[in-house]
Amino acid sequence: MSATEDQADVEKVLAGDTSAFEGIVRRWQGPIVNLAYRFCRDRARAEDMAQDAFLRAFRTLASWRREAAFSTWLFALATNLFRTDLRRIPIHPLTLADIPELRDPRAIDGGLECEDRDRVVREAVYALPAKYREAILLFYFHEMDVPAAARSLALPEGTFKARLFRGREVLRSKLARVRVSPGLSEEVP
Amino acid sequence: MTSDELDRILSAEDRIVPSSGFAASVMDTVRREAATPPPIPFPWTRALPGLVVGIAALAGLLVAGFALLRPAIAAVNPDTFSLPQLLAAARVAAQKADGAGWIALTLLLTLASVYFSFRATGSRN
Repeated sequence: MSATEDQADVEKVLAGDTSAFEGIVRRWQGPIVNLAYRFCRDRARAEDMAQDAFLRAFRTLASWRREAAFSTWLFALATNLFRTDLRRIPIHPLTLADIPELRDPRAIDGGLECEDRDRVVREAVYALPAKYREAILLFYFHEMDVPAAARSLALPEGTFKARLFRGREVLRSKLARVRVSPGLSEEVP
Repeated sequence: MTSDELDRILSAEDRIVPSSGFAASVMDTVRREAATPPPIPFPWTRALPGLVVGIAALAGLLVAGFALLRPAIAAVNPDTFSLPQLLAAARVAAQKADGAGWIALTLLLTLASVYFSFRATGSRN
């Protein structure tokens, strides 16, 4: 991703050349659609949410202050929009108690296969309270880059770290009994 | 489950590829948005005189109402105060007051609002 290309396209769009926005869409469609997908786990909805984010970016392009990277501004705008969208229409009212493997430890005494274990972990993330869930989603989306994730959520780094820590603690305590079947752990890539 | 396991599982989230028409669809929406004329801003400069007159009239009404009620409030015995007693005293005070001034003020406000409405809509045509 080239910051200079972003800046040049933004200047053109602000000067009235709407078609220059296509460069921004093509460069950022993958990350923005994937960010939306992390929030909603639904491909069609993720594309709708990403489209809304690009439209919002087009409308408010003039508010991008050049001291922050364009990507930082775009991710913060998109994250804010996705959070609002998810509050309006939640994906599913799942709680940690709704995940069978966590509700009944006897069911996992023999251990889970790797992919089942991964699914349980992801479901557990989506069952967390929103503030912890968002911190965890953004942390891993930004490849464990705390400053980038905190900027996307418009939170001070300290607050973000506290939420991340608390979210991971809740996850670890709930997932303490989840383990992979003996003999299958070697298959973990 | 260790932190490392958690990191490994959550870092390995599936990545999706936007559908082939996604960028084109976004650009269609953006072009439609760009072609839409900007919303008409609220005409504050035209509305301001009316708002000022309205606020002043409301303030005048409150002051006049209080002035009208003051003798009634003074006449009420604080030891035997009751709301019906105060309202009855206020009604008597209002009957004594001359209503012509209020009628004139109301007419004036009505005429002023009609005049400003015509001026606002007429100047746009």
